Amino acid sequence: MSNLKDRLEGFKRTFESGAPPYNATPEIVATMHRATAELKASGIEGRALKTGDRAPDFALFNQDHVEVSSKDLLRQGPMVVSFFRGHW
Amino acid sequence: MELEALKEIDSEVQALGARIVVLTPELERYTRALRKKLNLPFDILTDIHLKTAEQFGLVFTFPDYLRDLYQSFGSTLDRFHDESEYRLPIPARYIVDTNNLIRAADVNADYTIRPEPSETLRLLKEIVRK
Repeated sequence: MSNLKDRLEGFKRTFESGAPPYNATPEIVATMHRATAELKASGIEGRALKTGDRAPDFALFNQDHVEVSSKDLLRQGPMVVSFFRGHW
Repeated sequence: MELEALKEIDSEVQALGARIVVLTPELERYTRALRKKLNLPFDILTDIHLKTAEQFGLVFTFPDYLRDLYQSFGSTLDRFHDESEYRLPIPARYIVDTNNLIRAADVNADYTIRPEPSETLRLLKEIVRK
């Protein structure tokens, strides 16, 4: 099983080559590179919470409209919180 | 790809007494479909209007030229997220211990780079064993 990094790099190579099904033009690739570079330069990574910080509490609805809270999760044990931008 | 990779470590995470939870700005009708499609064992929570991502300091707003590009792809975030401002979280993964302390943080502004699940598992093992 390849690691996630290899799989993501494979996707990126395909996308940036302009191959189907994405058919990305060089202009599209350049626009996305520009956006990523600007976001990096904005310093957002340095402003994000880091190791040693207290984690904010949350209580949010899951996919079945059941409320799940960080307090309930942490009563059972540590939690891995992964932020995901979306499926699209 | 990232969620499927997290799925691969889920049973080991649970064996350590921990839980994986995914936070996304996507509305419940999309998270329900996604969880079913990928057959995910963990919850996907809708962080509506990015309230929690903001508290973690992860939210950015699309510049106009990027918004135009995504709209030309047909990716309309206002529909998926009820989000007219085109804001998103940068990719991030945290390990939080039972005292509510962040014990590991992996944050990257480049959306093509995601934290490696095997590394998350290795860090979690260290934290649980201490």
